[in-house]
Amino acid sequence: MDINETKAIRSTLLEEAGKCRACRFCIDVCPVYQATEWVESMSPYGRLQILKYLINGTLDEDDPLIYSLYTCLQCGRCDLLCRAKGQNLEVSNLIRMGKYLLSQGLVKGKKSEKV
Amino acid sequence: MKRSKRFISEVLSTLKENIQRTGDPLGIKRVYWTDWADGLNLQRGGENILLTARMYQMLPYIMQVTDLVALAKPFLSRSGLGQIVDMGNRLIGDKIIRFKALGSKKLKSKSNNVLNGIVSALGAIGQRPAYLYEDEPYSGVLLYDLGLDEYIEGHIKEVYSLLKTYRVEKIIGVDPHTVFMLKEIYPKYIENYDIEVKHYLEILSENNEALKKSCKKGLEKQFVIHDSCYMTRELGIIEQVRRISASLGITVVEPENTKLDTACCGGPIEYAFRDLTEKVSKTRIQELANVSKNIIVECPICLINLRRYEREMGIRVWDMGELLFGVL
Repeated sequence: MDINETKAIRSTLLEEAGKCRACRFCIDVCPVYQATEWVESMSPYGRLQILKYLINGTLDEDDPLIYSLYTCLQCGRCDLLCRAKGQNLEVSNLIRMGKYLLSQGLVKGKKSEKV
Repeated sequence: MKRSKRFISEVLSTLKENIQRTGDPLGIKRVYWTDWADGLNLQRGGENILLTARMYQMLPYIMQVTDLVALAKPFLSRSGLGQIVDMGNRLIGDKIIRFKALGSKKLKSKSNNVLNGIVSALGAIGQRPAYLYEDEPYSGVLLYDLGLDEYIEGHIKEVYSLLKTYRVEKIIGVDPHTVFMLKEIYPKYIENYDIEVKHYLEILSENNEALKKSCKKGLEKQFVIHDSCYMTRELGIIEQVRRISASLGITVVEPENTKLDTACCGGPIEYAFRDLTEKVSKTRIQELANVSKNIIVECPICLINLRRYEREMGIRVWDMGELLFGVL
């Protein structure tokens, strides 16, 4: 992934995450949020916030944040809710794109770069 | 959660390495995916093929890999030790997995029955797809799920080129993850993508009457359907499985969270977080068992995740292909 592509993905992610109206309807349908007994960082909304703050530099990649993002099941139930509530964000795909950015620093043998 | 970063780094690197080295997510070089087709005399290659993408055949090995990963997790997440395990994986990893998978005869037989059932059902409606045998590729869905997009393109191009070598025009898929990849993701990487991709349940549903006539016996039982996430929300295949079930004589009951609003079985994160997967799958199996002890699934990942509760909860988890195998 070159610098321009990284910039474009970061900008898309920030723009899309910025559209979230924080209604939090998506969190209740997330199976992982249910399984972790209501930890918001383990919900679609929480993951979007984590991505946003990783990209703008407020947060640093650490174990709990990686855990939160990589435990997303990509089941798409949050997307359905977001669509139903009129915002139509592809939340699970945004999280997947976040994993793509993270993989730059996680896959061994690559030049490490922070999100 | 502890040392997740290092652990995920090991998992992603191993997966990437396995695919690049062998084309297989498990890194197994020896062909393990063709046994089920012995004696079926399927044509080798052709315009219309059945693509299992090794998904059902992989199940006994996935069981062993997730067991090994759970055992090795503390070592994998420690600095330096990951490299040793990684090297071990390259040298003898696939041998250990293959050896341990020998013990999963029941699961292997179940997977074979699923695929045989699908071929019989397609035969009953006059379809006789070809098969690629040892050349059959893996779709690369795990690379996609984990955001390893950088390595997807190369894999997709290799698979597409192989399919073109065999002059494939139509693909019948047997699992939702592979169908999703070939139908929705491959066209993003291949210009003028020209392969028609369908799930076998779509084809059977279009020929439901012919299928019904071929059934030797009916399954006069009540079943609950566990819809797969990809099948419903990505592919929109919801009513087809119900139509087919009805023609087999099955009475379908619906659980809490069904059809488009189905709940995940937890399988997609089992590669790394088994404890969390078990919590998710336990919730889902309880929802299903509340309405019926007989559960139908239509995805290999759901099958492997939900069937572990069979003994504990006194239930039976059937793949749709298995039911077809039983009635045809």
